[in-house]
Amino acid sequence: MIQGPPSSAEVFHVLERVPADASGALVRERPDGTMAGALLVEHGRVCWAMSQRYPRRLTDILAAEQSSLSTEQLDEVFALCRREHRPLGETLIERGMVSLPVLHRALLRHTCEALDCLVRDDASPWSWVAHSGYGYHPMLTFSPAEVLAGVRAIANPALAARALDRLHDVVRADQRGFAFERAPGAKLPLAQLGCEDTDLATLAELAAQADEVMAVAEFAEIDAAITELGGTACASWTEDNVLFVVLCEGDLAFNRLLAQVAAMTPQA
Amino acid sequence: MTPLAELAASVTDCVVAAWIDARTGAVLARYTADGGQPLDTALDAALDAATEVMRSRQRPPRMVLLSARHVHIIHRLAADPRRALIVICERSPNIGLAVALTRKFAEAEAA
Repeated sequence: MIQGPPSSAEVFHVLERVPADASGALVRERPDGTMAGALLVEHGRVCWAMSQRYPRRLTDILAAEQSSLSTEQLDEVFALCRREHRPLGETLIERGMVSLPVLHRALLRHTCEALDCLVRDDASPWSWVAHSGYGYHPMLTFSPAEVLAGVRAIANPALAARALDRLHDVVRADQRGFAFERAPGAKLPLAQLGCEDTDLATLAELAAQADEVMAVAEFAEIDAAITELGGTACASWTEDNVLFVVLCEGDLAFNRLLAQVAAMTPQA
Repeated sequence: MTPLAELAASVTDCVVAAWIDARTGAVLARYTADGGQPLDTALDAALDAATEVMRSRQRPPRMVLLSARHVHIIHRLAADPRRALIVICERSPNIGLAVALTRKFAEAEAA
């Protein structure tokens, strides 16, 4: 279904077009005037993406995620929601058919895969259509950083899952972290933890900075770098060609992060 | 005793302390703990790497680089961002103390 080179760089540019805290849709049309697809946004958070080229339905993903759900059950609820103009996700949760984490994961996957298809479509440039809001539950919407990592992970889900597991191991409650693959043109998050509110330009800049530092430092067999950047302490290190970045703020952030990373890195 | 030698004496297992020009990477002054003998190749590379990192786009005000054997402490002067102090010491449990001493020395030099 998804072919060709990773689309994450294009998705990065698309997400950058979303006005801060705005509600509306980024829409693409085909030359014949039909809609190629759209990205729905509410208060700067991504709610949903649709693409005429993306055939998978949310119910297909939910059925695959949760084996106790049948497609027939989901289709029945879907039809009810359509008839009564009720939101599908909230209805599934109300009825105890899916948990919030399962629904969140399925929605994010659907949104990222649809967006990946949409950016590859041979359609018009994006146009922004403002809207007063769609009424999505905030828990079921996604930050640009979550969507970007989700799209990046499509190309290599196993690597993304490992990177996220590692972030869960090392990122503490008062910290943020992200990981990216060290490959040309790929300095975009593969996984993130706690970076939901970090804007994409900042993430990209931190990734470029960490990559630059580690590229130089490796010549001297450096395992990890701890840097102070504008009041934020930033640790970076590489594992299996994935570069991890952990950010820490507050009192003695630099010292705390230094002690943490020193304990993680081997001493001869 | 030069100020860099005094710093090297106060930081446990310090092997080299140097002032560099953060723009060009030129070493402005250097003290080597073994009496000024030329650095071995590995330490030369370490000093080069630390210097090169300070020439990166953002030139962070301070940075610590960890290798299996060494700790590289880099502190750029707030009062004169063109100058940076680099201290390389053997890896030991007292990294925090070495960082604090380096910072104190750099700030005293800037005052």
